[in-house]
Amino acid sequence: MVKPAIESKHHSVLLAAIRQPATLVNYSNAQWELLLRVARRGKLLGYLAAQLELDKLLDKIPLRAANLLRSSLIQARKQQQVVSWELNRLLWALNNQNIPLIVLKGMAYQLLDLPNAAGRIFADLDLLVAKEDLEQIESALLKKGWQHHALTDYDEHYYRKWSHEIPALLHPERGVEVDIHHTLSSPLGKLKIDALSFRAAAIRTKEAGVYTLNPVDLLLHCAINLFQNNELADDLRHLLDFNEMLLFFSEKQSFFQQKLVRRANQLKLSRPLFYSLYFSRLLLHSPVSDQLEKKLKYQPNWLVLGMMHYCVPLALLPQHPEHSSKRATFARLLLYLRSHWLRMPLYRLLPHLVYKSYLVIFPNKPIPRGQNG
Amino acid sequence: MKVAQLSLNEFSSLLGGCGLRIKIGPFNLSVQTRLPSLVHQLHLMYAHYSLVDKHEIVEFHVRIVSRRSIRQPFARLVQFEVDGRTPFPPVPLEQALSTLEWGINLVIAVRINHLLLFHSAAVERNGQVLLLPAWPGSGKTTLSAMLMHRGYRLFSDEFGLMEPQLGEFYPLPRLMPLKNQSINVIRNYLPEAVLGPEIPGTLKGTVVHICPTQESIDRLEETVEARWIVFPKWVAGAAVQLEPLPQSEAFLLLATNAFNYEALGEIAFNAVTNLVRGCECRRLVYSDFDDALTVLNELTDG
Repeated sequence: MVKPAIESKHHSVLLAAIRQPATLVNYSNAQWELLLRVARRGKLLGYLAAQLELDKLLDKIPLRAANLLRSSLIQARKQQQVVSWELNRLLWALNNQNIPLIVLKGMAYQLLDLPNAAGRIFADLDLLVAKEDLEQIESALLKKGWQHHALTDYDEHYYRKWSHEIPALLHPERGVEVDIHHTLSSPLGKLKIDALSFRAAAIRTKEAGVYTLNPVDLLLHCAINLFQNNELADDLRHLLDFNEMLLFFSEKQSFFQQKLVRRANQLKLSRPLFYSLYFSRLLLHSPVSDQLEKKLKYQPNWLVLGMMHYCVPLALLPQHPEHSSKRATFARLLLYLRSHWLRMPLYRLLPHLVYKSYLVIFPNKPIPRGQNG
Repeated sequence: MKVAQLSLNEFSSLLGGCGLRIKIGPFNLSVQTRLPSLVHQLHLMYAHYSLVDKHEIVEFHVRIVSRRSIRQPFARLVQFEVDGRTPFPPVPLEQALSTLEWGINLVIAVRINHLLLFHSAAVERNGQVLLLPAWPGSGKTTLSAMLMHRGYRLFSDEFGLMEPQLGEFYPLPRLMPLKNQSINVIRNYLPEAVLGPEIPGTLKGTVVHICPTQESIDRLEETVEARWIVFPKWVAGAAVQLEPLPQSEAFLLLATNAFNYEALGEIAFNAVTNLVRGCECRRLVYSDFDDALTVLNELTDG
């Protein structure tokens, strides 16, 4: 495989640390200083701290670095506790209504005790529910004190009509964002997602009425978020989630990788899975075989893959904290446009981007919907 | 090597280049800026700080940069940056120093959890720390500025930094922002104090920074334990009063005021319990500095 377009110094200190945390004991102070700054931008300090703690290496690195890593780990654990408590309160609020809740992303990794959960920094509670249950859940939560952010008419309309989630709810005393999804990607998007087949395959957790996606679907959802929903900027930590879960489940379940490929092909999700596998091998040196990608339908052609090969690492990897690179800025812009292009048809996309640019210049003057059409 | 030993040119090229790297307590700080006015102010105000040894890790990298605004094309704005992020909106050029100092406080408050961060002033006398926790606006900056010029060593006017297991306090002597009326009070009471420029129109009104004494900065590596906790309150015209405070109340006032008490959970609970049990706790009401100094000296005499 070709090496990524560029691997500058701040990228290599980060990637080497992630690929082989044990090498960190040999880092010079100057390398540490750069690593700490870059990892913070990528929200990876807690992850690195957890790795080093697991390998009992926190006492073998410079004290100043260990102090900052420990500080992040304490913060990450506190946030995990706060989100767990939010789930607890949610179950209390929905008491006896018999609505199955599927917990997604960070909270799901934590409930399943996956290796990528330790030190993972997240602040929101993401849930997937049946579309029919949305109204009941929303009104129950509003009754028990949760509130929506004050939204402009435009944003409200955007969420209700074009998005895969309702506007975030939060309880003013706790401030944790609760994002309730009825499917896993925008219903306007080119990728049609069959939410029912994800819900039907969900698995129980210790908590009654609380489910998570099954292992194969956890990976597919992670891939959809990376290569369909997100703009990929500073998203290396999500690729890391993907890779860690892939390695964990491949070891635990026989034929896991085959099941993953089969389900992706069946649900027409092979494109995001292709990229997740490709970039896990390229950037994280994932030991999975490249034969896996070849079994996927709907692979990108050489031109598209070439563009992604050039742009994606520049977006996923954090920018240098002092010198932002023009190439990375350009690559991020392309991927930003790509993610919108994938999620909205052109006749919706152009007015949306025009409106967003207007808000960049006049952030305090949203146009009321009446005038905006 | 101290900042004061650098010529203005050397100092300016560090700030404009890879950063001025100084020791501010248990942390190292790197500051970058090309604003000539700020360079001049810092050369004076940071004179006593030591430069960081060449190969040491610096924890915080901050910058003050010029900004243009589409809506105010002729305004001269500056903004605080930490690792390329901008937590505050841009402010007028004259507020560069205050936005820098508040930015550094913010970064410490959000990033540090290996130490317990009390929202408290702290000074040292006779080898032990006197903590002065108080609500914002109750005059802890003014009081600690006064004490620092009357034989106490300044630890901080903002952060009581405690190692939660050992109970040691770490000095973090930084510029202290005097606000509004307290500026003239200090000008009159402490003519010897080194003050920065008057900065009008900040979110907290007019601000003038006062420099820590040279002794406080020279000894910033000497950690000690706390012995006294005093909750000060300035009340116009009040006679001085220093009365005992129940430990339970001291506990609540300290814990609810700490920046990271909740994040540290049980560790913080045990640390505050031990701290309060080992300290003499008082409530101070005063209107006159000399009276406050007399009773605090009596308390800390031994």
